[in-house]
Amino acid sequence: MDNTRPAMLALRDIHKSFGSVDVLKGISAEIPKGELLTFVGPSGCGKTTLLRIIGGFAAATSGRVILDGEDISNLPPNMRNTKMVFQSYALFPHMTVAKNVGFGLKIQKWSRKKIDARVEELLALVHLEGLGDRSIERLSGGQQQRVALARALALEPKVLLLDEPLSNLDANLRVVMRDEIRNIQERIQITTIFVTHDQYEAMSISDRLLVLHKGVIQQIGSPVDIYERPANEFIAGFVGYVNFLEGEVESIHPEGNTVCVMTEFGRLDLDCDQQAMAVGERVLLVIRPETVSLSPWSGGESQNMFHGEVESQMYAGNLAKYTIKFGQKKMVIDHYNPMGSTKYSKNEKVKVTIPRKIHMLRRQTSGTADNRGQAHEPKTEHAAAR
Amino acid sequence: MATTVLSIVPGRSVWYRLRAFFNANLINLFAGGLFAVLAIFLLYPIVSVLVFSLWGDDGFTLSFYAEFFSYHFYYWSLLNTLILGFATMTILVIIGFCFAYLTTRGPLWLRKPLKIIALMPLAAPPYIFSISLITLFGKNGLINNFFNLDFNIYSWTGVIAAQVLAFLPLSFMMIENVLNAVNPSLEESASDMGASEFRIMRSITIPLAAPGMLKAALLVFVMTIAEFGNPAILGGRTPFLAPDTYLMITGEADFNMASVLSVVLILPCIIIFILHNFVLSGKGYTTIVGKPTAAEPRPIDPAIKIPFLILCIPAAIMVLMSFGVIVMGAFVKIVGVDNTFVIDHMLNTQSNGAIWNSFKVSMGAGLFGALVGTLLAYVIMRGKFPGRRVMEMLALSGFALPGTVIGVGYIIAFNRPPFLLTGTIWIIILNCVFRFLAVGVEAGISKLHQISVEIEEASADLGADFLTIFFKVILPIMFSAFVAGFIYTFMTTMMSLSSVIFLVAPGFDLASVYIFLTAQLGELGVASATTIKVIAIVVLCMGLLQLISKKMGLNVKKQGV
Repeated sequence: MDNTRPAMLALRDIHKSFGSVDVLKGISAEIPKGELLTFVGPSGCGKTTLLRIIGGFAAATSGRVILDGEDISNLPPNMRNTKMVFQSYALFPHMTVAKNVGFGLKIQKWSRKKIDARVEELLALVHLEGLGDRSIERLSGGQQQRVALARALALEPKVLLLDEPLSNLDANLRVVMRDEIRNIQERIQITTIFVTHDQYEAMSISDRLLVLHKGVIQQIGSPVDIYERPANEFIAGFVGYVNFLEGEVESIHPEGNTVCVMTEFGRLDLDCDQQAMAVGERVLLVIRPETVSLSPWSGGESQNMFHGEVESQMYAGNLAKYTIKFGQKKMVIDHYNPMGSTKYSKNEKVKVTIPRKIHMLRRQTSGTADNRGQAHEPKTEHAAAR
Repeated sequence: MATTVLSIVPGRSVWYRLRAFFNANLINLFAGGLFAVLAIFLLYPIVSVLVFSLWGDDGFTLSFYAEFFSYHFYYWSLLNTLILGFATMTILVIIGFCFAYLTTRGPLWLRKPLKIIALMPLAAPPYIFSISLITLFGKNGLINNFFNLDFNIYSWTGVIAAQVLAFLPLSFMMIENVLNAVNPSLEESASDMGASEFRIMRSITIPLAAPGMLKAALLVFVMTIAEFGNPAILGGRTPFLAPDTYLMITGEADFNMASVLSVVLILPCIIIFILHNFVLSGKGYTTIVGKPTAAEPRPIDPAIKIPFLILCIPAAIMVLMSFGVIVMGAFVKIVGVDNTFVIDHMLNTQSNGAIWNSFKVSMGAGLFGALVGTLLAYVIMRGKFPGRRVMEMLALSGFALPGTVIGVGYIIAFNRPPFLLTGTIWIIILNCVFRFLAVGVEAGISKLHQISVEIEEASADLGADFLTIFFKVILPIMFSAFVAGFIYTFMTTMMSLSSVIFLVAPGFDLASVYIFLTAQLGELGVASATTIKVIAIVVLCMGLLQLISKKMGLNVKKQGV
C-alpha cells in the first residue's frame, strides 16, 4: 500500500479489557488519509469495540488514538472530529430526514440558510433529493442507511466510522449500498473505517483490511495480500475456502526460485513466493479450490499431478464443486465455468494437477492446532461460490 | 358453526351428535357464561350507579346533579380532586423522570439502590404514607417535635406528599420503561454529532420518552383522583370526591348523591381512558434495533446529575423514613412520646383478626379471580364469537374505574333481590375478583400470545376433544398465568381499601379497613403493626410472583391498587 501518505489516524498499542476479559491486546495501526480500511473478523473479535474506542464511546484501557497528529484519546465523542454511522443507524425517529442530517450543523450553530443548503447538498450526494421532509419511519432500509451516512458526513469529519452499516439490509441492497458507500468515499476522499464480519464485503470494498481475531491483529493488507498471501492459517481459512496440505521442504533450487516439498500426496515442485526457506522445514501449503485443475484419468505420473477419485460432486452452474479423495486425504476443487467441459461423476477416477504457484506458510511449532479446525471450515457461501 | 356440525354427521347416535356439538361450541358456551358473569358483577353495579344518580323517588330527575353544582361543598370537592390530581401528576412526572434517568443513565453504583427505593412503595398500600406522615409531621410527630415546627400535616401539603410517595413507583416504572427503550445509540449518535449532555436530553431523550411520560402522567392522574385513603385521612376539612362519596353513604345514607359523586369521579377517568387507548395507542417510536453493543454508560454530566439528585434524594429519604417509622410505630408505645419497646401492638387481637379475615377474603378472591381471568383470557384469545373486544374492555374496566365507584355500585346493586349479598363475605370477594380481573386476564393473554394456536390444532388433529384439550393442554400451559393471577389478586385484595370499605359488615374488619379506621382515630401503633403484617404478606407474594415470572417467562406488570 501507499505508505508515504501521512497517517490521518494512528492507533498506538490499544488494549481494552472488560473485567478480566481482554478484548483488545495491543492494537497498533496507521490509516493514511483517504483510505478505506476495514476491520474484519469473526464476531467477538473486538472490531466494534475498537471502532467505539476510536469514536470515543468506549475508553481504551491503555493506548492512544491519534487523529491527524492530535491525541484524542481522552476526548468525549462530541469533541472528536470522527463521525459514526451506527449499525442501527440511530436516526432520530422524532425528526425529519432534513432535521436528522442537519442535527450536527445546528449544534455548531450554523445559520438556518446554510444548514438548508448543506443538507440539500448532502441529500444529493446520497441520492435522496427531495426527501428532506419525510419522516424517518417512512423510509426504506436503504434510504435510512443513506440518511445516516449523510448525517455523519455533514460535519466533514476527518474520519468516518461505519459500524456494520449493511447488516440490516437484505442481500441485494447490501451490494448496491456497498458500492455506493465506496463510490461516495472515493469521491470525497474521506478516510473511512468500515467494520464488518463479512469477509467478502470487506474484500470488495476496502483499500486495506485489518483482520482481527481474539483481540490481536492477524494481518493488515490489501485484499490481494489477504487472499493470496495470508499471513497464517487463520487468515487463509477466514477468506474463502482452503485446502491445507502439510509438507516438508526437501530441496531448494535457488536458480529457478523453486522448492521441492514432500507432502502427504507426494512430491511437489513449487515456486517459492517468500523469504528463504530451509531444507527440512515444515510448511503448510495453502491451496485454493479454484487453483487446482482436474482432468480425466490417465495412466502415468507427471509433475505436481495426482490420481484421485470423485467422492462427491455438486453442480452450481457457474462452477462445479468436487470433493476428491486420495486414500484418506480429501481435497475440495472448484471447477469454474464447467459449461461445455468434461463433468465428472461420483466414484470416477480423475487426475488432479496442483499449480506451481502455491502460497506456503511456515509451520509454527505451537499454537496452530486450534486454528486448524476453524481454518478448514468454509466461512461463507460467498467464499464457496466465488 | 353449530348448525353445520349438527347437520354434517347424519346417521350417528344422538350422543355422538351432542358430543360433536359441545366439542365445537364449548368455547362459545363458556363465552356466554362469562359474558353473563361480567354483566352481573361489573356492568350491573356500574349501571346502577348511573341510574341512581338520575333516578329519585319521582322517577327520572337531574335534581341531584343540580344539587351537586349548586353547593360549593360538592363542586369544590370536584375541583379539589382535580387540583390534587394535577399537582401530584406534575410532581411525579418530574421526580419519576429524575429517578428513571438516574437509574438508566446515572452512575452504576447508584442505579440499583435508587431503583429499589423508587419501587419500595409498591410493597405497601398507598395509605400507609398517611400514617408515616402523621408519625413524622403530626402534632406530636417526630420531626415536628425535633425541630419544634408547627407544621400541619392535615393539609394540602400532607395529602399531596402522601400521594406522591404512594404513586412514585407507578410513574417511575412507566418512565423507566420508555427510557430503557430508547436505543442508546441514538444518544451516542447525538453526542457524536457534537451535542452536549443537556442538548441530548433536551432534543433526543425527552422527546423520545414523551409519549411514555404522557401515559405515566395520565395513569398517575387517574390513580390519584381515585385514591381514597390518603385524602380521607389527611384531607382534614378539605373535601375530595372519593372520601366524600364514602361519607355520603356512611354518614347520610344518601345513595343518590353518592352516585352523583361517583359519576363525577368516573368522568375524568373515562376521558383519560379514552385518551390513553385511542389517542396515545401506537404512539411511541420504534427504531431499527441493531446488535446491542456492549456499551459502557456515557458518563453523566454533573450539571445534570446534581440537580437530579437534589430532587431525588429527599424523595428517597422520605420513602425510607416512611417505612422506618412504620416499623418503629409497630414496636414502641407511642412514637415520639413514649419510645419504650412494646409488643402489644403486634399482638393486638383485633388487628390479627382483621389480618385473618383479609387473608380469607384474599384467598377466595385470588382463586376465583385467577380462574375467571384465565378463562376470560382463553375465550378472548381463541374464541371466534363477535364482541370479544367488548368482553376484553369490560373485563379490564374494573381496573380502570375508581374503587369507590365500584364500591358504591356494589352496595346499590346487591342490596336487594335478585342478588342480596350485602353483609356477606361474598360481596367483598366478588368485588375484589372483578375489580382486579385485569391482571389475570392480561397475564393469560400474554401467555397465550406465546403459544401457537397450532398446538391446539395439533391436539385436535390427534383426536383430542375440546375438554381434553382444555384440561390436558391449555390449563397446564396457562398454569403460570393462573398462578400469577392468583397471587396478584391475593396481594391487591390484601391492600385494597377504597371499594371494600363500603362493603364490610359491622364487626367484620378487614386489615385495610382496620388500618384506615385506627389511623383516623390516631391509634398509630396498632395501625403501624397491622400495616407491617400486610407489607410482610405482600412482599412474600411479590417474591413468589417474581419467581414465577422468571421461571415461566411471564411478564406480569404490577399495576395500581
